[in-house]
Amino acid sequence: MDVQGLQMTDTKPAPGLFKRNPPIVGEAEAIEAAKNGDAEAFSKLYALHKRRVYTLCLRMLGNVSEAEDMTQEAFLHLFRKIGSFRGESAFSTWLHRLTVNLVLMHLRKKGLNLVSLEETINPSEEDAPKRDFGSRDLNLTGSVDRVALERAVASLPPGYRMVFVLHDVEGFEHNEIATMLECSTGNSKSQLHKARLKLRELLRQPIPPIVQQGSSLKEAV
Amino acid sequence: MTNPEFPDFDTMTPADFENYLPDFFASGDGHVSTDPRLQTFLKNNPDCAALVRDLETIAEHAKSLFAPAEPSDAVWSNIQSKLKQGQTEEDPR
Repeated sequence: MDVQGLQMTDTKPAPGLFKRNPPIVGEAEAIEAAKNGDAEAFSKLYALHKRRVYTLCLRMLGNVSEAEDMTQEAFLHLFRKIGSFRGESAFSTWLHRLTVNLVLMHLRKKGLNLVSLEETINPSEEDAPKRDFGSRDLNLTGSVDRVALERAVASLPPGYRMVFVLHDVEGFEHNEIATMLECSTGNSKSQLHKARLKLRELLRQPIPPIVQQGSSLKEAV
Repeated sequence: MTNPEFPDFDTMTPADFENYLPDFFASGDGHVSTDPRLQTFLKNNPDCAALVRDLETIAEHAKSLFAPAEPSDAVWSNIQSKLKQGQTEEDPR
């Protein structure tokens, strides 16, 4: 599949993302130099954006090894495609979209068919959130431990995790997610809701022994 | 569930509420608990109100999840190596 066909060219950035991605000093010069094959300039772009790209991959994949592989792929792809960046959106927004598309392609190759969302993104009955409101004395009481929530997100079925990360963590709108995942906005809303319900269910469960031992997210995924 | 026409807020059942909840969240600013149309319903259905509070808490905390992390040095080494080998042009992707 041609990644270029997955909106790799300049697209209008989401308002929220554009606000979060102001231009970086020296970035424009590095981009122009990198377009001309300047290895040092490309190295600078890597240094400027490696954390953001890697963190995005880690959020979407929930796996350190895969996240590093995809970070590598994203920058190799960037090297090949940087000439198509026209500066109509923030470079970081463009690179962000490039990375999202690469990760989605990677997941499709692994067999997670995100196209036919209803059939394939839905988890098994066992993984699906329970349809109950729950008793009030088990409320999250307005506060959630960050590590516990990260762990819960990492344990979500891939389809739930993808929509939750794209919407609630990365700030994409449902229509953008629908375009990326090739599904309806209704599906995106539904999957997000199920993901949140599943997270609520997971957070209300007793802490498993592995958590009590203080293992990290990286070890758990 | 995706029907844009919401039910009558005065006669809505908890089951109706659950069915329309994804759309309630998607409309407006995503804060169902402060939606004026739902105040009476939520007051009369505390379990639904608790569910909404929990889901809003999860969504709110999601914004601060996964602090930026750094890839290992091996990633850049591999990139440099592949660029030197010119393998990017041969990548079937």
